[in-house]
Amino acid sequence: MTLILQTIVDGLVLGGLYSLAAIGFSLIFGVMNVVNLSHGIIVLIGSYLSYILWRTLGIDPLLSIPLVMVALFGFGYVYQRGLIQLAVDRSSLLASMLVTFGVALMLRNVLVLIFSPDFKSITPSWAFNFFVIGPITVDLVRISALAASLVLLCLLALVLGYTHMGRVIRATAQQDLAARLCGVNARHVYGLTFGVSAAFAGASGAILGIVLPFSPPDEAHWTINAFVVVTLGGVGSPSGALIGGLLLGLISTATSQAIGPAFPNAMMFLILVIMLLVRPAGLLGNAFSGSR
Amino acid sequence: MMMAGGTLPGMLAQGIAAHRGWIALALAALVLLALAPLYLSPFHVRVAQLFLLSAALAIAWSLLGGFAGYWSFGHTAFIGLGAFVAGLVETGWTWPSPALAFAVGLLAGALACALLAGLIAYPILRLRGIYFAIAMLGVAQVLGELNNSIDAFKGTMGIVLPQLAPRAVEPATFYYYLLLVAAAVTLAIGFAVKVSRLGYGLLSIREDEDTARMLGVPTERYKIQTFVLSAVLTGVLGIIYAHSLGFITAGSVYRTDFSLNMIVYALLGGMGTLIGPVIGAGIMVVLTQIVLGRLLDTHMFITGALLVILVMLAPRGIVGFVKPILARWRGGFR
Repeated sequence: MTLILQTIVDGLVLGGLYSLAAIGFSLIFGVMNVVNLSHGIIVLIGSYLSYILWRTLGIDPLLSIPLVMVALFGFGYVYQRGLIQLAVDRSSLLASMLVTFGVALMLRNVLVLIFSPDFKSITPSWAFNFFVIGPITVDLVRISALAASLVLLCLLALVLGYTHMGRVIRATAQQDLAARLCGVNARHVYGLTFGVSAAFAGASGAILGIVLPFSPPDEAHWTINAFVVVTLGGVGSPSGALIGGLLLGLISTATSQAIGPAFPNAMMFLILVIMLLVRPAGLLGNAFSGSR
Repeated sequence: MMMAGGTLPGMLAQGIAAHRGWIALALAALVLLALAPLYLSPFHVRVAQLFLLSAALAIAWSLLGGFAGYWSFGHTAFIGLGAFVAGLVETGWTWPSPALAFAVGLLAGALACALLAGLIAYPILRLRGIYFAIAMLGVAQVLGELNNSIDAFKGTMGIVLPQLAPRAVEPATFYYYLLLVAAAVTLAIGFAVKVSRLGYGLLSIREDEDTARMLGVPTERYKIQTFVLSAVLTGVLGIIYAHSLGFITAGSVYRTDFSLNMIVYALLGGMGTLIGPVIGAGIMVVLTQIVLGRLLDTHMFITGALLVILVMLAPRGIVGFVKPILARWRGGFR
């Protein structure tokens, strides 16, 4: 019983992180149908930015989240307007995916050159505190990671639901022609969406840095995870990403606990393939019209 | 369009007649490539070997990805499956000669690929676009991980494959010729598909699958046939590649970069053409192996940058880039 509870708690913590890391991917996919294969590398850039801030200025990783988000928002906006949009205009959506893959390769190489391919981790002074609830131990690091992820996801849901920018983004996602007819500058909105996506990816990176060690080649893992989360939960909504992420976290910890530590990835993809075949609209079932 | 009754031999004859220039070019290239090991250094023979493998894989991928527009992101599943089934069959029993072992292994590997493709074809081909791509990525990952983690498949331990090259022949040269034959056969099959009824059906699927189906094109059957064909060809190439390595682990044959490279070559050369994947493979292999071979630190950066530049400058691939220029050039002489 204790084991099961502990597995569930660990799975939820991991899942919160997956959700936050995937929401940006899901937004871009939902709003402009672009599959951003450089998403994982943006997550890692967030980790490394937070790492630099912690090492040089001694800023606590949780406090560095807003700084990382602002920096990556700018990066995302410029990246979309300067490159992705051009690629979509000049060729096809599938080709734009290749561009993002190329960018991922480039940035990964840059990260390796700057930070070496070794694993890095961020360990603030409170990293080794933990507390015990009944039979379960919870690290302070993990619980604060989960809390930060949930807070940020709620924040994004509020932004999307109630601000002008959020409304415009949702309108463009639903019908970009209609939105444009109503006076929305669609390209600007695409840029904003990419900015928001990169900002949240960066935030998840900063949080991931305190939970897990990271190195540049991990980026593929985070991109693929984001895809699985989106497929499980449904595209373009924070609630979908949350459900997908938590499920994925639970599945991967439960699999490594019950079957063996080598199998979480295989299980994850098995579920992904089955989900695509049985319920391509995701569990919440929104906006997956393009799949069939 | 006149279909010459629509029978395969009829359409083939028509196709050959219509593409005489290309066929002559392909035969000339074949002769040139067959003579290549005589004057190339061992290093360059290896590069040429990689080129043949890459080009053939890209053509095999193109049957489904280029003609029908179903981009698979997990074709390495068939490379790995073929290689491991062949390896397990060849090392699991004692065979009187390596050649016989190879023949049986080749057959078993190809059969396994056909079986897997046939099993998953119906459900997975109902997915379209990016969802098909990712589902295939998933298939490749699951297969790779299972192969790696289940001891009976020897994915972690690895398999030492029997040496096929006769003692008198340099192994690199031997596999060069084996790959040359395989690449030529793949190209010929690709050509046969392109000019046959199946090829036109696939093109109609790529352009508008629903309309094609409405007009009576058996889209489901065409897609499944092509998927299985593409899988078998990829598997056979994988088996030859595995033998040229001599020793395989799950990590060396289930490689995501194989899957991605097939797409990159086809896209770079020109999607939906047969010469495109060959050109794309040629450019990328020369660039990555020879030009960038010395720049190990920034290798990945330059490959990525090239990819971005190429998609930006030539979104329809080299073929799409050159064709209008050629047409204008020809027009000027008329």
